[in-house]
Amino acid sequence: MAEKGKDHLLVNKIGEGTVIDHIPDWKAETVVQVLRLDKLARMQADASVATLQNVTSGKLGRKDIVKVDGWHVDEKDADILSLVFPSITVNYIEEGQVSKYQPKVPDTIEGRIRCPELGCISNAEREPVVSRFATLKHERLLQCRYCDTLISFDSVPDHVRT
Amino acid sequence: MQVGLNISVSEFLRRDVISARDFKRDHFEYILRAVEDLEKSPGSLDGALRGKLAALLFFEPSTRTYSSFQIAAERLGMKVTGFAGPTGSSITKGETLHDTVKMFEGYGADVFVIRHNRMGAASFAAEISDTPVISAGDGSREHPTQAMVDLYAIKRAFGRIDGLKVGMLGDLRYGRTSSSLAYALSNYDVEITFIAPEALQMRPEVIHFLTRRGVTPKKESALKDVARALDVLYVTRIQKERIPDPTEFEKVKGMYEVNLEALREAKPSLKVLHPLPRVDELSAELDGTSYAHYFTQAAGGLPLRMVLLNLILGGGR
Repeated sequence: MAEKGKDHLLVNKIGEGTVIDHIPDWKAETVVQVLRLDKLARMQADASVATLQNVTSGKLGRKDIVKVDGWHVDEKDADILSLVFPSITVNYIEEGQVSKYQPKVPDTIEGRIRCPELGCISNAEREPVVSRFATLKHERLLQCRYCDTLISFDSVPDHVRT
Repeated sequence: MQVGLNISVSEFLRRDVISARDFKRDHFEYILRAVEDLEKSPGSLDGALRGKLAALLFFEPSTRTYSSFQIAAERLGMKVTGFAGPTGSSITKGETLHDTVKMFEGYGADVFVIRHNRMGAASFAAEISDTPVISAGDGSREHPTQAMVDLYAIKRAFGRIDGLKVGMLGDLRYGRTSSSLAYALSNYDVEITFIAPEALQMRPEVIHFLTRRGVTPKKESALKDVARALDVLYVTRIQKERIPDPTEFEKVKGMYEVNLEALREAKPSLKVLHPLPRVDELSAELDGTSYAHYFTQAAGGLPLRMVLLNLILGGGR
């Protein structure tokens, strides 16, 4: 996607992939973290990621954009991201066609968030337990199904499994 | 169905006992009345569960809770298997809770009584097994059957629970009995005060639950500020084994002791409860006074656990 021109970097249109739009300005790195886009490197996937930061936006004034070329971001990951940044929109591009996905706050989140309570059974080594959080939407909180620990939506990036 | 209660005995059948939050006021009242009946007719449940098998899986050492469940099961005619602590069991070899539960399930256990140092262990066990699970304490989270014992002790002392002012003193952060009791009390019209230094104050998730239920507990840091108003003082020890940082324990140990001097301004009718064992937080000088209700409280553990096992396993009577 990104090519070095004579004196500037070009970000091409995506043929296949995902564009995360309407990210609050200067938060693109958090998006990369929450969506675990670094896993693309571990998987040696043929994908590239471009982050555009502090671009002008009619809706937000300034915003960030993350373009993932050659990779469809999991909808469940997008839903988790929307806990932190409710303003985001997700566009999937397939054969040049764009389809919008509006992330929604899930009722439960399984396996993707690590419980911050070290004494929780979901952190026990060798126990086949999958972490599970219920969302308390009005209070913008997640609650661990096992130990009841509460975490705020805003602190989700600190607890996402990488 | 008991008179005046809007539940039937079938609601207890094969029910897990994981959290005091899972029980409504009528559930508690049903259990308390059944315990009262059993105390009036002590042999009435003997042999009611003959032929059933109780697996007591205590991944943490226990004396009174293990013994009371063991004796309760045996009085009901059950066979008892399992272990009273990790020593001498396969836990020391690294066997997981999951595998242990599956193994005893295969041996035909009719009920699991589980104590574990991890919060949520009983919830996990209930997920992976169709056999009813009774939590006998999971880390710092909850000890629901102790809360039932505590309610029974309060009711026995005052003839009611509504209208009382209950203070909970001590290690509310790492103690599991006080959170379960607070959840149970939220079904009643009581005034709850959490008395602890900030480092040991009640966990946010407990306050959160109570607040959602419309109960607003007070917080105090010293007993002397509230002693005169209380009807019940629930004292807990500092959970040294659960405080992750030893320096944190050093800071809080010995911060409070309930003795006659501390209760100088208390009502003569005050009852002091303690889930036991006690260390330094509750002076032996209270033992012979009218305040001391903790040994009566502890004695309620056996009939209460008999009633609970009988209700869950459908022993009738």
